[in-house]
Amino acid sequence: MNNATSSWLPSTRREFLRTTTRGIGLLAFSRFAPSFLVESTLAATPAPEKDRTILVLVQLAGGNDGLNTVVPFADDGYRRLRPTLALPERDILRLNDTMGLHPACAELHALFQEGQLAVVQNVGYPNPNRSHFRSTEIWETASDSGEFLPTGWLGRFMDNACAGAPADGAPPAVHITRENPQSFLSAQEHATFGLNPDTQGRRGGESLRLLERMMQADAADPHENAGFLQHTMMNALVTERKVQQVLRGYKAGAPYPETAFAHSLQSVAALIAAGMSTRVYFVSLSGFDTHSNQLRQHANLLRTLSGGLAAFQQDLRAHGLDRQVTTMTFSEFGRRPGENESQGTDHGTAAPLFVLGSRVQGGLHGTAPSLQLERQQDLTFSTDFRQVYASLLDRWLECPAAAVLGRDYSALPLIG
Amino acid sequence: MNFAASSAQAWEPLAASEWNRDAARHLLRRVGWTARLEEVERACDEGIDATLERCFPSEPAPLPKTEMIARFEADLPDLLGKIRTARGPAMREARREMRERAQAALQDFRLKWLQRAAEPAQAAFAKWTLFLSDVYVVSAEKVRSPDLLWRHHEILARHALGPAPVLTKAVSRSPAMVRYLDLDRSVAEAPNENFARELFELFVLGEGHYAEADIKEAARAFTGYRVQAATGEFRLVRQRQDAGRKTIFGRTGRFSGDDVIDLAYAQPAAATFLPGELARFYLSDRPLPAEMLPALGERWREQRFELRALALTFFRSRAFFAPENRGNFIKSPVQFYLGALQDLELEVIPLTRFTLNPLRQMGQQLFQPPNVRGWVGGRSWINSTTFAARRNLVQQLFAPLREETLNADDVRALAEARKAGRERFTVGDDWFERWSDQPADETVGGLAQRFLAAPLPPHASQVLVDFLERRTAGTARRDAVAALLQLPEYQLC
Repeated sequence: MNNATSSWLPSTRREFLRTTTRGIGLLAFSRFAPSFLVESTLAATPAPEKDRTILVLVQLAGGNDGLNTVVPFADDGYRRLRPTLALPERDILRLNDTMGLHPACAELHALFQEGQLAVVQNVGYPNPNRSHFRSTEIWETASDSGEFLPTGWLGRFMDNACAGAPADGAPPAVHITRENPQSFLSAQEHATFGLNPDTQGRRGGESLRLLERMMQADAADPHENAGFLQHTMMNALVTERKVQQVLRGYKAGAPYPETAFAHSLQSVAALIAAGMSTRVYFVSLSGFDTHSNQLRQHANLLRTLSGGLAAFQQDLRAHGLDRQVTTMTFSEFGRRPGENESQGTDHGTAAPLFVLGSRVQGGLHGTAPSLQLERQQDLTFSTDFRQVYASLLDRWLECPAAAVLGRDYSALPLIG
Repeated sequence: MNFAASSAQAWEPLAASEWNRDAARHLLRRVGWTARLEEVERACDEGIDATLERCFPSEPAPLPKTEMIARFEADLPDLLGKIRTARGPAMREARREMRERAQAALQDFRLKWLQRAAEPAQAAFAKWTLFLSDVYVVSAEKVRSPDLLWRHHEILARHALGPAPVLTKAVSRSPAMVRYLDLDRSVAEAPNENFARELFELFVLGEGHYAEADIKEAARAFTGYRVQAATGEFRLVRQRQDAGRKTIFGRTGRFSGDDVIDLAYAQPAAATFLPGELARFYLSDRPLPAEMLPALGERWREQRFELRALALTFFRSRAFFAPENRGNFIKSPVQFYLGALQDLELEVIPLTRFTLNPLRQMGQQLFQPPNVRGWVGGRSWINSTTFAARRNLVQQLFAPLREETLNADDVRALAEARKAGRERFTVGDDWFERWSDQPADETVGGLAQRFLAAPLPPHASQVLVDFLERRTAGTARRDAVAALLQLPEYQLC
C-alpha cells in the first residue's frame, strides 16, 4: 500500500526526465507543466492526505425498477400490481419482515447483514419528470423539477473548494463513462479526468510516444488559445499515462466478476489505492430501461451491480481503504408500480437507492412507498434525493451542503 | 496592425497587395474546414473576389432531401394512425416502430449532411448553414421528428444568403421551431413567451435591447402558430390568434408576427447583433472591441440586411485578415473532423460508429446543440475527455478498417458507398509515398505548412525531424503525420 502511494508522483517525474530527448530538466518547461509534476521536483513528495473521504457514484442509467430491487413483498399491492413480474416470496432476501432484496443481490444482502449497506427507500422529488434526459439532469444538477441549473452538484462541490486544493494536482473528480457527467459541470474550471470505458488499457503506440516527446517544451502563453490547448493536453497526457500505469500495475485484493462494470470499479479501486487525492468518482451501469420482458434482464443487471459492488468493497477492505470510501447508487427514476402488457414496466417516479461503505450506518432508511394505487398510478416519494446528497456532503465530504444545494435539506443518518 | 483604432477602416477590403498564400489559407480555413494545397493555389490564382463568389454563390445548391426522410414522411400518416388506433402491447409496438424509424432517419440525415459538407466545393455553404443553425437553434432532443428537422434545415439553407428578416420570418413558421419554442401551445388567452423571448434575445437583438413588456406583447402576435401532425405543415389558426392591438418598442398597432419581426429589425441593436455572432462563430472567441461592430452594422443595414452581402464584407475585410485573428481559433468538432478528412483526402465513412459517435464524444451532435443558445464554442470544446476523443478520432483515421469485425448492416452500407465511388475511409500506405524522397527537415516543414494554422514550435519540429532521420521504416511517416494531427496546434485554425 505504501509503495503504491509513494510511486504515484516520482514515477511520473522519472518518466518525464527519462523521455526528454535533449536532456532538459523538467523545470525548463515547468511553467505550464501539471502542478503535481513540478511540486514533486521542488519538494519532497507531498504526503497524500490519507484520511480524505472519497465518494463513488454509481449511475444506474435507464431508470431502475425500485419495486423489484427492494421488494415490499408483504404488501398485497405488490402482487396485485405485478401479476407476472412479482418475485416469488420464498426467493426474496429478507431485510426485515416486510422488505427484501431481489434474489440476484446476494452479495449486497450479505453487506446489509454486516451493517455496511444503507437502503434509502422511496427517494424522488416533487413533480417528477419521466423523461430520461430531463430527469437525469434534475438528479445531476440537483435542481427542482421546473428549474434549470447550468452546473452539476459535484461541480458546485468543486467550485466551493470543498474538494480542497489537490495536494498532488490529481484531478478532483474522475469519471469512467464515455461522456463527461452533467454532475461534474462547474462554474469554474477543474481538471476533471475521464477514462473511456471502451478504450481502457489501449495503448496509443508509436505516435503517442512521439506526441509526448513533441509536447515537452515551448510552453506558450496560457492566456492565448495555443497555450491553453498545450496546457490542457499536457495535463491530460500526463494524467492518462499515469492512470494507465496505475491500472496496469494494480493488484486487486479481491476477484472481480468479468463484467465491464466490475472492471470500471476495479479501476476506481486502483486509483484510490495509488493515493490519488481525487475525492469523487463516477461510474455507470446502463440498460435499466426495462419496458419489456424485464425479469431476466433486470436480474442480470442487479447481479452485475451486486457482484461488482461487493468485489469493490472487498478489494478496498483488503487494501485497508474501506473506511475512506463511500459508494452511492442513483437512477433517474424508478418504474411504474403496475406492470405493462409486455411483461415490463414504464417510466415511473421514486425508487430506493443504496449507500455502501464501512462507515455507513447500515439498515433501512426512510419509509417504504405506499402501494394503495390504481394500475396507472405512480409512487409518491417520501425522501427527497437532495436529502441524500445533503447527508453525504455534510457528514461525509465535509462540505456545507447548503452552499452546494442552494438551501437546507434535512439530512439522514447515513454515516455512522 | 491595430485595426481597432480605426474601426471604420476595419471593414474595408483587404489591400490587394496583402492577398497571398497565407491570406488564402486563413480565408479557406475559416470559411470552410481547412486549406488544401490545390484550393490555396486556385484561390491565389483567381483572387479573393472570385474565391468568395465560389464560397457564397448567388444560387447555392442545398442538400437534397434524403431518401429516408422522404420515406418517413410518406409513411408518417400510417405510423400515426397505428399509434392512434392500437391498444395495449400493439400501441407500444407502434410507438417503438415510430421512434426507431425517426431515429434511423435522423442518423442518416446527419451522415448525409456530413458527406455533403465534406466536399470541398460545399464546405463554405455547409459551414454557413451550421452557423445559422447555431443562431436559429432547434434540437433533436426535443423535436424528435426527422422530417421537421429536415424542413428547418432546408429553410435555413434556402434563405441562407438572402435578407435576414425574410429568414427570420421563415424560421418563425418552421414547424421544428414552432415545436421547439412551444409556439404550438400558445393561444390568445395564454400566450407562450418562449419564442418571443428568444426572437429578441437570441435571433435578432441580444440581451438588454428589449423590455419584458415588449416580450409579453410580442408573444401575443405569435399566437395561433401550429403544426399539422399528419403532414408536418405549418398553419395559422385564426381562432387561436390574438388580433388585438399591441404596443411593442413604443409603437402600437394590430401587429402580426411578421410585423413584430420587422419592428425588431428596425431597432438599432439588430444591425450589430448578428455580425457579433458571426465574429464569434468565425473569427475570435474574444468579443470584438465594442466600437468595431457599429461600422459593420451600418453597412449591413444599408445593404438591407442581406446575409450574402454581410458575408462578403466580413470575409473580405482587413479585420478578418488581421494578424491577431489568424491561427488562434479553436476548431469545432465538426471542423476538426471534416478538416482532417479533407487534409488526408478521405471520405466520410457511412457508419455512425466511426462518425457520429466520435463527434458526440468530442461534444457536438449535429442538430442537437446543448440548449437554445447553441454551442458556446471556443475553449468550451476542450477538456481532457474531448481531447482524448479528438486523438481517438485521428488514430481511427490512421488505422486500417477491420472489416471482419463489422456487423451485417455496416458491411452493406460500406458496399453501397463503394458502389457509389466512395472508398477512401482510412489513410493507406500509398498516401505517404509523396514524401519518401525528401530530406526529413523539408518533409516536416511541408507537413507543418500543409496541416497547421499555427506555427509548429521549434522543439516539436526538431523532435519530428530527428524521428524521421532515425527511423527509416515505412511506418515512420505515418506515425509522424498521426502525431502532428494530435498536437495542440492542429486544434487551431
